[in-house]
Amino acid sequence: MLGLWIILILACLVGAAAWAGKHRTVKAIDVAGLNFLTPIVRLCYGEEPEKQLKDIGRFIVVPVIAILLFLGAWHVVSEKIQTKSGKLPNPRDTLHAAKAINDFHYRENDKQAAFNLNGEERAQELERVEQRLEELKPLEAEVNKNVAAAKEAAKERLATKVAPLQEELDTLTAKFKDAKKQRDDELASLASQAAVGDEDAKNAFVGKVRAYRQLASDERDRLRDLRTEINDMRAEKDPEEQRALAEQTAIAEERQYLGKMQDQLTDSNRYEKVDEENAKLQEARETLYAADSATILKAATKVAQTEDRIDRIEESGYAKPATLPYQVKRSVLCVFVGFLIGSAIAIPLGVLCGLSKTFMAAMTPFIAIFKPVSPIVWLPIALIVASAFIPDPDKHWFTQWLWELPLLGEYKINPAFIASAVTVALCSLWATMVNTAFGVAAVDKDHINVARVLRLGFWSRLFKIVLPSALPLAFAGLRISLGVGWMVLIAAELLSSSEGIGKYIWDQFNNGASDSFANMVFVVFVVGIIGLVLDRMMIVFQRLVSFDGAPTAI
Amino acid sequence: MAYLELDNVDFGFGPVSHRYEVFERASLAVEQNEFVAVIGFSGSGKSTLVSLLAGLLKPDRGQVHINGKVVAAPGPDKGVVFQNYSLLPWLSVYGNIELAVKQVFPSMKRGERRDYIQHYIDMVSLRGSEWKLPGELSGGMRQRLSLARTLSMKPEVLLLDEPLSALDALTRSQLQDEIIRIWEEDRRTVLMITNDVDEAVIMADRIVPLTMGPAAHLGREFPVTLPRPRDRATLNFNPEFKELRNEVTRYMMNLNEEAKSLTRSVTLPLPDLQPVLPGPRVRVG
Ligand SMILES: Nc1ncnc2c1ncn2[C@@H]1O[C@H](COP(=O)(O)OP(=O)(O)OP(=O)(O)O)[C@@H](O)[C@H]1O
Ligand SMILES: [Mg+2]
Repeated sequence: MLGLWIILILACLVGAAAWAGKHRTVKAIDVAGLNFLTPIVRLCYGEEPEKQLKDIGRFIVVPVIAILLFLGAWHVVSEKIQTKSGKLPNPRDTLHAAKAINDFHYRENDKQAAFNLNGEERAQELERVEQRLEELKPLEAEVNKNVAAAKEAAKERLATKVAPLQEELDTLTAKFKDAKKQRDDELASLASQAAVGDEDAKNAFVGKVRAYRQLASDERDRLRDLRTEINDMRAEKDPEEQRALAEQTAIAEERQYLGKMQDQLTDSNRYEKVDEENAKLQEARETLYAADSATILKAATKVAQTEDRIDRIEESGYAKPATLPYQVKRSVLCVFVGFLIGSAIAIPLGVLCGLSKTFMAAMTPFIAIFKPVSPIVWLPIALIVASAFIPDPDKHWFTQWLWELPLLGEYKINPAFIASAVTVALCSLWATMVNTAFGVAAVDKDHINVARVLRLGFWSRLFKIVLPSALPLAFAGLRISLGVGWMVLIAAELLSSSEGIGKYIWDQFNNGASDSFANMVFVVFVVGIIGLVLDRMMIVFQRLVSFDGAPTAI
Repeated sequence: MAYLELDNVDFGFGPVSHRYEVFERASLAVEQNEFVAVIGFSGSGKSTLVSLLAGLLKPDRGQVHINGKVVAAPGPDKGVVFQNYSLLPWLSVYGNIELAVKQVFPSMKRGERRDYIQHYIDMVSLRGSEWKLPGELSGGMRQRLSLARTLSMKPEVLLLDEPLSALDALTRSQLQDEIIRIWEEDRRTVLMITNDVDEAVIMADRIVPLTMGPAAHLGREFPVTLPRPRDRATLNFNPEFKELRNEVTRYMMNLNEEAKSLTRSVTLPLPDLQPVLPGPRVRVG
């Protein structure tokens, strides 16, 4: 899979280089901030092959090796870290979790699609599902057999492994018991001697008693250690058995999924339900038409009720649980909404600050006080305010309107979402504001002189001289803002339970299933990669507005 | 009364406590359609003079007149070619000129404007570089663009602040001829700042040296009576040319000497003090 991607990327590169020419390709790569690809393009053109190979070594091979080393170290360390939620997931567990998350997503999509299918398509899909169910039966039997065999084998292996220890334990237990008895007898006989002896004899007797107590304690410890060792062996999971069980789980999950699909395609299907209700309606109508004055009220009520129910079914969709890809999309949407709100506030204020020293003086206390406030403080306040405006999102016109929108509606924007977005805005707007103000205030004196000679009016001066020259710095600010916003968002979602990556982490933390630890580790990478993409995107914008090749950070 | 006039102007930078007086009682008169070259040493106040004439700076005392009216504010009628070009780096060659043309001739039609801009681009031989950004131009190309932008405003007075300083000798003489050609084509009043005596002699009707700062003023004037067009190749053997050049150079050298002796005389005599020599160490307390 990975190899395929690499080949695809290389093919694209070579194609681009051949089609657009070397310089344009290199420039595009530079603008996109993917400079590590440059040596490959140059190598394709046979330009200083030795240098290019060296660059490839440095910028591609070395990072790949570093990643591999990291994976190795991770694998080793994860074995050593035992927690209440199991071992720290290793790379393979994490990859597994990713696959499971992906499967879950596609299966939920299937179920949703199945709910809405009708006619020929529904029949076909049902046939496919049933066929697959048939196929699963022998597989399932085999897997079950495998699991039983693996369990048996594991048990046997365990038995052979434990047997010598168990034997040792048994013999030692017996031996120690005998020894203890012997000692007790000895002490009993000594006791009678000591009782008539002098003080020295009595003290010597104490010494003897102490020595024997120590012996008994040592023996107990030895036995306990042995027992612990045996128990640990028993508790240890047999890898073969684990593998067999994992296969069994996978098949069971697929079976469950197919069962649900079957249900969505038959009894729970929208059209099925509507048909059913329509039949009832028909019946109710007939009763209504045949009704006399005594029964007509009841019959009419029934008709009305059934009609309402049909409307509801027509409207309703499959109640799909949130899947990680959906939550990721919602988080990205949320961060952009917050970022847009923040920028819409920060850029005009920043421009005003830059233009007028007086305005800047007025704003300084607010910037100084609000800038260091943590998202954790903003969120509850934002949540209360958002809930005050939209007490019931199911009824409020604004949320209703949002939910009706073609692309946005899917994300069910609610007060928690708005509060998270506002928190993002409040935490991220400062960087943009300060940078914009600085950019506007630092407009080159010569450029202002040009404006004066041309007698540009206030707005022309603002839009033709001041803003363009402040743009690179403003974009540097926007880039910082988006980065801050993305970090803040995850925390905000976690606290506000706004459906998104943050909530996903929180849910996983709380439900503590066997795979949730691995899921969380996988999300670390999801968050990181999305953050990286967002940053790259801003770098591209920043470079596009930078006129003198202003330096951009990596 | 002359067309462009600097009338007994005082000008200084900085607050009263540590004020730097650039000009004291500086006067200059330029006739209409005259080409005047101002030469002076670095830091003597040449750029400040241009800013004063353009209205970008206000004199502390005295006045600047153009055509009998007091110059109160800068405007496109006083075209300035700034010493450091002052091009807008986010606009292309075309865009830089377009900004000026749109502002100065707002009623010009679209197509007409395009031709007009192209005309000025061609005039300074920048055809083919219309869509390059200033960052992608050489120093000389930037100077030419700056010149084209200023000329496109059709100013009454052209103030050129060392417009050719960043150029190599070859390009420089080429552009000198260019400026002269443009000036002769539609005569304007031109005041050009330069630090090159030869350039001043070849181009100007009159040369006005600026004395060394601080408190500079405009010195003795040298009219240039050489007939136009002045041919560089033959000029080098022209005795009048050589005489004038030597005279101006000598004058400038004298100014320099004078300034040096002036600063020398300003050195304060130091009080005759004995240095304290380190003695044996003494413990205190
Ligand atoms: N904005 C300013 N603030 C304070 N002093 C200034 C300022 N601009 C110029 N000066 C001072 O005024 C004097 C004249 O400066 P000006 O730029 O006019 O010199 P110049 O003759 O154009 O020099 P150059 O040939 O190097 O361009 C200089 O001594 C300079 O230090
Ligand atoms: Mg200067």
